[in-house]
Amino acid sequence: MTLAPVFIGSLGKRRLATLFSLLAITLGIALGMAVQAIHEAALNEFERGVRTLAGEADLRIQGPASGFADTLFEEVVGHPDVAAATPILEVAAKIAGHEQPLRILGVDVFTLAGVAPRLLPQSHDTTDRMATLAERSVFLSKAAQDSFAVRIGDELKLQDGVRSISLRVAGDLPGMVDGQPLAVMDIAAAQDSFGRIGKLSRIDLSVAVSSTPERLKQRLQDRLPAGTVLESPAAASQQAGNLSRAYRVNLSMLAAIALLTGAFLVFSAQALSVVKRRSEFAFLRALGLERASLIRWLLAEGALIGLTGGIIGVAFGYAIAWAALRLLGGDLGAGYFSGLQPRLEFKPALTAFYVALGLLAGLAGALVPARQAADIAPARALKSAGDALSIEPHRRPWWGLIALALSLAACFIPPIDGLPLGGYLAIALLLTGGIGLLPFFAQGLTQSLAGISQSVAWRLAAARLISAPGYAVVASAGVLTSVALAVAMAIMVASFRESVDEWLAQLLPADLYLRAGRAHSSAYLDPELQAAIARTPGIRQVEFTRHEQLRLGADKAPVALIARPLPDGGHTLPLASEVRFSSLPALWISEAMADQFAWQPGKAVHMPLGGQLREFHVNGIWRDYSRQTGAVMIDLALYRKMTGDLHVNDAAIHLESLANEGAVVDRLQQLGADAALEIARPGEIRQLSLRIFDRTFAVTYLLEAVAIVIGLAGVAASFASLAATRRKEFGMLRHLGVSRVQIVGMLACEGGLVASIGVLTGLFAGGGIGLILIEVVNRQSFHWSMDLHIPWGSLLLFAGMLVLLASLAAVLAGRQAMKQAAVFAVREDW
Amino acid sequence: MLEIRDLCRSFNGRIVLKSTSLSLNDGEYVAVVGESGVGKSTLLNLIAGLDRPDRGTICVDGENLAGLDEAALTRWRREKLGFVFQAFHVLPHLNLLQNVALPLWLQGKSGCDAAPAAQAMLDAVGLGERVASWPHELSGGELQRVAIARALVHRPRLVLADEPTGNLDPANAVRVLKLLGESIRKLGAIGILVTHSREAAATADRTLQLTAEGLRQ
Amino acid sequence: MQRRQFLLALAATNGLLTGPSAAVDFPPVRPGRKLAFPNDFGAHPDFRTEWWYATGWLRRSDGRPLGFQITFFRVRTGIGETSASRFAPRQLLLAHAAIADPALGRLRHAERAVRVGVGDSGFREGYTQVWIGDWRLAQDGDHYQTNVQASDFAYDLKLATNAPPLLNGQGGYSSKSSDPRHASYYYSRPQLAVSGSVSLAGRPEAVTGRAWLDHEWSSELLPADAQGWDWVGINLHDGGGLMAFRLRDTRGNAHWAAASLRSTGKIDQIYPPQAVDFLPQRRWRSPRTGIDYPVAWQLHIGPRRFELNPLFDDQELDSRRTVGAVYWEGAIRASENGQPVGEGYLELAGYGEKLRIG
Repeated sequence: MTLAPVFIGSLGKRRLATLFSLLAITLGIALGMAVQAIHEAALNEFERGVRTLAGEADLRIQGPASGFADTLFEEVVGHPDVAAATPILEVAAKIAGHEQPLRILGVDVFTLAGVAPRLLPQSHDTTDRMATLAERSVFLSKAAQDSFAVRIGDELKLQDGVRSISLRVAGDLPGMVDGQPLAVMDIAAAQDSFGRIGKLSRIDLSVAVSSTPERLKQRLQDRLPAGTVLESPAAASQQAGNLSRAYRVNLSMLAAIALLTGAFLVFSAQALSVVKRRSEFAFLRALGLERASLIRWLLAEGALIGLTGGIIGVAFGYAIAWAALRLLGGDLGAGYFSGLQPRLEFKPALTAFYVALGLLAGLAGALVPARQAADIAPARALKSAGDALSIEPHRRPWWGLIALALSLAACFIPPIDGLPLGGYLAIALLLTGGIGLLPFFAQGLTQSLAGISQSVAWRLAAARLISAPGYAVVASAGVLTSVALAVAMAIMVASFRESVDEWLAQLLPADLYLRAGRAHSSAYLDPELQAAIARTPGIRQVEFTRHEQLRLGADKAPVALIARPLPDGGHTLPLASEVRFSSLPALWISEAMADQFAWQPGKAVHMPLGGQLREFHVNGIWRDYSRQTGAVMIDLALYRKMTGDLHVNDAAIHLESLANEGAVVDRLQQLGADAALEIARPGEIRQLSLRIFDRTFAVTYLLEAVAIVIGLAGVAASFASLAATRRKEFGMLRHLGVSRVQIVGMLACEGGLVASIGVLTGLFAGGGIGLILIEVVNRQSFHWSMDLHIPWGSLLLFAGMLVLLASLAAVLAGRQAMKQAAVFAVREDW
Repeated sequence: MLEIRDLCRSFNGRIVLKSTSLSLNDGEYVAVVGESGVGKSTLLNLIAGLDRPDRGTICVDGENLAGLDEAALTRWRREKLGFVFQAFHVLPHLNLLQNVALPLWLQGKSGCDAAPAAQAMLDAVGLGERVASWPHELSGGELQRVAIARALVHRPRLVLADEPTGNLDPANAVRVLKLLGESIRKLGAIGILVTHSREAAATADRTLQLTAEGLRQ
Repeated sequence: MQRRQFLLALAATNGLLTGPSAAVDFPPVRPGRKLAFPNDFGAHPDFRTEWWYATGWLRRSDGRPLGFQITFFRVRTGIGETSASRFAPRQLLLAHAAIADPALGRLRHAERAVRVGVGDSGFREGYTQVWIGDWRLAQDGDHYQTNVQASDFAYDLKLATNAPPLLNGQGGYSSKSSDPRHASYYYSRPQLAVSGSVSLAGRPEAVTGRAWLDHEWSSELLPADAQGWDWVGINLHDGGGLMAFRLRDTRGNAHWAAASLRSTGKIDQIYPPQAVDFLPQRRWRSPRTGIDYPVAWQLHIGPRRFELNPLFDDQELDSRRTVGAVYWEGAIRASENGQPVGEGYLELAGYGEKLRIG
């Protein structure tokens, strides 16, 4: 501890560099912590919700969104292995004036009491003892009352098809203390109100004492109709966790950018500081300080920055998480946990992990400089003052090349537990390789550029970089990292956006789109209305779409089924594969289906539809950016034949060439009362979708910008600390007749060159990482492919701005050293 | 021809240089000796145009430095002046040839154009074989020889040397001073050697004593 | 006899009888309708409410007593009469079962509730048969059979009849108020000979005993100011039976009362309100709910003076968690002039704070 002032004190002497290292680490940790804390809170809340809803149920029979025949309940309730069973009909009720539907559970209060008592409704009017069974009574949790702005006693206007129905809010759900927006009504009333007579969505079971869930599963499984699965209620939270995990990992990636930048800034600051203190260390070594002890002290400097950054970052992380949960919700607006109101909890282990991560970043940054400092021969170092030029770069290109080769290999690792770990490894290796090759690149680039100008400023700056590539590594590694990751994200986002745009254009070929409400909600278009739409003057052709949700296996997330008129060749679809034909009914699957179920074009597959297992032929794969868990498409006529379901959700309307669009819209609006029909032009849908897309990624851009600014600030800090050691050099140059402008020019050239090296290598590495993100990470975590689109214009602008900023930063940092008094620094005897 | 008349300079009210006059002809090589703080370096800075006198004039080849602005002074230094420093100040990231060529670069010569002159100059100081070496590979004496080569490569009218042997051992010091003297004479330039060492001063044509009262023969 | 109606009215999950389901016409209860058996043993689904209510004393093999109770309530809700849903809650069934064991010192009890139409539950017309899963009460020739399976007790009892039903009120028309609208059809079956087995904590044992069965149905509400009731049904050792009830108003005064007495070799006697007096003697305060129950009584029926004392004090039945009512339903001994004359069941309802109406 006695040496603490010597070492730790040095941090105080280079406050700026220390501050920026600290900032970057703090940002990285705060971001990572926030993402994790938000996700944990959301997932906890989701699990809590699942537990509340499931109550003491051991198992759950779950069917497609349209439900299954309620006669199954009779069979289940009398089963000897079943202790209690409760039937539930779930309806996503469209509420007038609200985009988000209200989740209504039709329940049987009598059997519910034994399985999930917390769902029990409580009537407000205590004299009407029948309120919980009443046909027009609905009971809303406090959260649902808040979300839909209704109070007990109010009338709630819901939509069934395009028909408006009115229910009375007769009470609340006192057991729902978790803030879940949920409504409960009598199951018979729900079947009646929403035209779902004879249908159930699920049956929750508890297993008889004399049996086990496994035995029950075994005995009941075969008796379940096709399309229903028997799974444990916990499966839902697991599915939700899996669904949002990939999203969370992508956000954590941003945190990693900041953290890595932080580690490299620590590296830069430490490396330069170590060089400046060479004679100091030599002196200490001469006095008898052991080599190991010197390393330890230098590591302690980095550790202190890392630890401080970790602790502040964790605190900030919780603050960000708190604010984000308040403003955006548990999925940061991505929609995985819509409606939940998660509560933030302090997680000691998780918090400690992130603090440790900060510490690690600090230590990692300090490690190489510490070893270099310890390797200095004391005798030599005592004699010569240090300069950044004495930083020895690794002179082994194969080291970087091997990392790059391994990176390529890592891209072929299949997803592990649904996570694209191979992709992340590849990214890490690519960065490592990039940094390993940085000195050679720096030399090569500078040498090839050296001749472009004969100006003294340029020649001096180039000479400095050519003779001392190690210096370039130190100064530009942080830039490389932040630029590479930012560029990668930019390429990925641009490719994604462009692909989504093209996809939307392909999916929305009609002139108008009409729907009664969200897919799977209680809003639909019945055959009468369909006919009325088709008859509307001015309409040339209408294509209807029906949405359904299927369960293809226990513990597997639901799969969306889209039924619409499809040509044999599937040419109206955004195809991502060859097309194969057969005599079997045609099925078109999304990429996620191909990945998760190993379905391929040409394969015959079985899928439950209309309560029966049916054989389909996979004709082709289409691209789907909106349903991560998978979607299949079949022809609407086929769907109707197989299910007898004549309702549809959407209509794509082609107008006659001379039709007045406004008049057609007016006529269509009149078909549904109370603005029950939503009509949109494809342009609006596209704009809205892209706006949502941009909003989702806005946070990403912001965070990237912050990481880059910190990276640049770190470069400036490095230059500032270097400039101080170069006062004499500047003085000598002034003696030789170098003008102040020329020195400024030299510094600008140096800053620009260093930044160019970082930015250019960053662009290359970023391009590679972008490819990995597109081809490996996204493909494996979201199961969708996209076309590569490189935003050349913005990337070039971005790179140019960075180089310019770095030059400016270098000049600003050097201004101290260029004052008139610096001229005299050249005299030792002043 | 260097004409200094009645030069005065004070810092924060303290007079450092008081009515100093000096006149030197081409090819003349003088040593200026004096106690610490009598203004040796101030005198050099004034002559080099890095500092402006409170009073008095400095004329080099008939040109009054007072009449030149900052940019013109910088250009003038580039063309007319050679400097040798106590701490060598050889740029560590340039090799010997580049270091010596630096003044030629400053005059706008390209690397190729400058190379022969720099090579010749390095030959002259006995380092012709080591043009591609880096400064950190050289000893102190060798570094100062590089500095001398750099000071003379552009054939300046005036060479200023500020304690050039302050960092050298006596044997090296003698060799460097001899080289400096010979080189200046061969060039026919005006040389001013500022030192506090009598031995060093003795290598010049004559010695001037700088005191609080001014320069004395 | 609306006491159980009232009990049901307090039931929180569905609660039933006071609802404004005006859309449905429930048949009124009128004096003069002659009860016809065996048809009237069965269910009367058109009426709003109906229940079968069996209580009794059992003797274990070592002679120690147990009390038992099983009640099936049927409710026509007036809801979903025209619904096509199989879950339409037109008819509900609720059941309470309990065992009073002095060795335990409190009741073991359980309850069930279902909507009729889905699952294994229902009732029959024409003869007594009502069941929810494996809980049942059914008439089979000259006896009733009842089965209950609960987590900490079970019983399987045969209740044999040897006499015709005791018709309460005017030939089974039982008034609840001076207003003729408030009435029910009500008969009792005293002196049922019990045989069968009871399981306490999983150990089955053979039992014998005497039981009492009530069957009552009605459509009309209780008088608005009724706060609670006291009811007693006693099998007299001499082979007779005594049923008495009174309704209390919100001030605790008797609002209405009636009694029926069957004595061997005599015509069944029906007593008007003024001939029936319930006089509380000793109170017991529930440590769980803090409610004071008068657990010992003087009961005056005409000239006779009965003393009622509980088998043990704590026979409170707290079903607030699922059904929502707290009341006292327990085995009692009856004596006259210091001599034991019978054993039966006492029910005390509405002693809590305006209870948990909601």
